[in-house]
Amino acid sequence: MKRKKKRRPVSVPVASMGDIAFLLIIFFMVCSELSKEKDVPLVLPMSEYVEKVEADIVARVQIDEAGQIYLDGVGVAGPKDIEWGLRAMLANTVSDKQRHVQFKCDAALPRDTFEPVLQAIAEAGGIVEAVGEKIE
Amino acid sequence: MISRSRKQIKKHRDGEIPVGSFSDIAFLLIIYFIVATSLMKVKTIQADLPSGEKATQAQTEKIPIVNLRGSEIFFNDKPVTLIQLEERLAALDLRQKDESKRIIMLESTRDTSYEAYFQALASISAEGGIVAIVEEEK
Repeated sequence: MKRKKKRRPVSVPVASMGDIAFLLIIFFMVCSELSKEKDVPLVLPMSEYVEKVEADIVARVQIDEAGQIYLDGVGVAGPKDIEWGLRAMLANTVSDKQRHVQFKCDAALPRDTFEPVLQAIAEAGGIVEAVGEKIE
Repeated sequence: MISRSRKQIKKHRDGEIPVGSFSDIAFLLIIYFIVATSLMKVKTIQADLPSGEKATQAQTEKIPIVNLRGSEIFFNDKPVTLIQLEERLAALDLRQKDESKRIIMLESTRDTSYEAYFQALASISAEGGIVAIVEEEK
């Protein structure tokens, strides 16, 4: 004779789900950095030497395909604004680690558009992290 | 009398906060943070462009110079390909030299694209050079 097996009600413990979820939120809030980059149309240049950046980026400079310059996603009038903006940002820095400035520029732009911006970054004391695509 | 009876009728509500939907709200917030967070690291080349006083002609005479004329590259006034430029820069063994002797001048013409400039900049930086941008006389 077969014994009748008792069916135990199976319940998944969900009481602590809310706590776990809030812990995850706190983790993301602490670790995340809201994007200061503006999504501008540009084609990045290519090189075999590009590597994943490990440095902390203090500011982001972009030049789109129309030649418009952005500092941390905000359009500026020219390279002088970049220089003064970066000078203000880098004023309280104490080490080289705090001077990395990300630079994105459209590959087809002529020298007169991008070189004054690179010079402005250098004049302000920034170390240029020029973004590109890796040639595979 | 009427008001008193109404008071008596009033139900005692318990002060519980509904927390049943808390986890749903929490997970929605998590999804927001996952979407908004940028975990990806971009690929870059690091270029140290020193700022400072303009150098005199005498100071710049012995410093190697890379000229970009449109899509053409010249190293010390001799035409080279990008691979040849890399070889010449490697031959200089810049990494073993002190900072003042690692300077490479970079000059370009107006029709030089950022693509060509970036590749030259990347080659110089990869060999340990410090790029000094040559400005046009105004």
